[in-house]
Amino acid sequence: MISNLMKAKNREFFRMQIKSMLKIVSLALLLGFGLATQAEQTAAPAADPKIAKAQQMIDDADKARKKAASVESEWRDTGKMIKMAKEALKKGDSVKAMQLAAKAHKQGVLGYQQAMAQKDQGTPSYLKY
Amino acid sequence: MKKIIQSLALLALSGSIAISAQATTPEEDLAAFQNFFKNRFPGVPMEEYTNGVYSIDPIGRENWEAIEEFPPYEPFIDEGQSMWETPFANGKTYKDCFPDGPSIKGKFPYWDKQQGMVITLPLAINQCREANGEKPLKYKKGPINNILSYIAYESRGQATNVVVPEDDPKALEAYEAGKKFYYTRRGQLNFSCANCHLQNAGMKIRSDILSPALGHTTHFPVYRSKWGTVGTLHRRFTGCNKQVRAKPFKAHGEQYRNLEYFLTYMSNGLPLNGPGARK
Repeated sequence: MISNLMKAKNREFFRMQIKSMLKIVSLALLLGFGLATQAEQTAAPAADPKIAKAQQMIDDADKARKKAASVESEWRDTGKMIKMAKEALKKGDSVKAMQLAAKAHKQGVLGYQQAMAQKDQGTPSYLKY
Repeated sequence: MKKIIQSLALLALSGSIAISAQATTPEEDLAAFQNFFKNRFPGVPMEEYTNGVYSIDPIGRENWEAIEEFPPYEPFIDEGQSMWETPFANGKTYKDCFPDGPSIKGKFPYWDKQQGMVITLPLAINQCREANGEKPLKYKKGPINNILSYIAYESRGQATNVVVPEDDPKALEAYEAGKKFYYTRRGQLNFSCANCHLQNAGMKIRSDILSPALGHTTHFPVYRSKWGTVGTLHRRFTGCNKQVRAKPFKAHGEQYRNLEYFLTYMSNGLPLNGPGARK
């Protein structure tokens, strides 16, 4: 009778131990998965910030170029610079891409300003009427 | 109250002066444009401007006159004559499109009310070709220069006589658009056409003398030694725009057609002497 009682207690203890071990293992697995996912999430942008920035700068430069073109004031080399920036980015040279995109953006902005500054301009003063 | 009325009156007056200073007629523009050159180069007869920079550059003129003894554009005239006389696949010729041809350059550019646009000679040639089932020619280089050379040669002596018809306000709009283009600074170097060929005509840019704008349109198409062939006026427009680092426009697109309309108007009265030879 006593031995039966002891056996039952042991079984119960053993079951409890397995349960707690399973809890620990599943917790560890969950934690591990969570950390791995987070690591993955942080790793992707960590590898890309310059590329993403360069791409954004190229897009901005192209917008500025189109704005200048809309007032017939696009400069000669702006489009070429954007093309070269895209090629540099393809090759992974994000620094060169950013430099070219910045130049192209400036040209686009200046081209637009140039047209706006002359919007209401008439004939020049050196022509005498 | 008096002060307010006075200042308002002054403002209105100054406003009207500014507007009237801007709203000039094509005839007034022409007089101002041609007078500018009369005052700038008083010894140069008006007809001389058809010779471009050689009207004001005696050393360059000597070389040019030597070149003109054996004109480099002659083979292009011959080729153009052959083009003019060769029937299209449908049996028709250019003569069917231009009954007064080939001496027709003096009629171009003109405002076409029906099409609502400026029609230039190269555009009319391509419209003729397309109407007869032929492929249009490229506008800057190649065979279009042959037929243009022939037409220009046959039209020598005709007076430039561009008309801005008063019965269609769109014609004046096109003229004004061309005028605005001419005086607008563009490109990274911030130059307008007028900066070089009006304001600074006769001045040096590197080793070259800037040609006067007056007469610019009379001698096209032109054999340029730099090109090693004959090229169109719109090819030259493209080159000029590129030189000031502006993105050029489409040859015979609206911008350059209107520019040609204005610029040719400014040479009204000058005789046509194309094709020409330039360095």
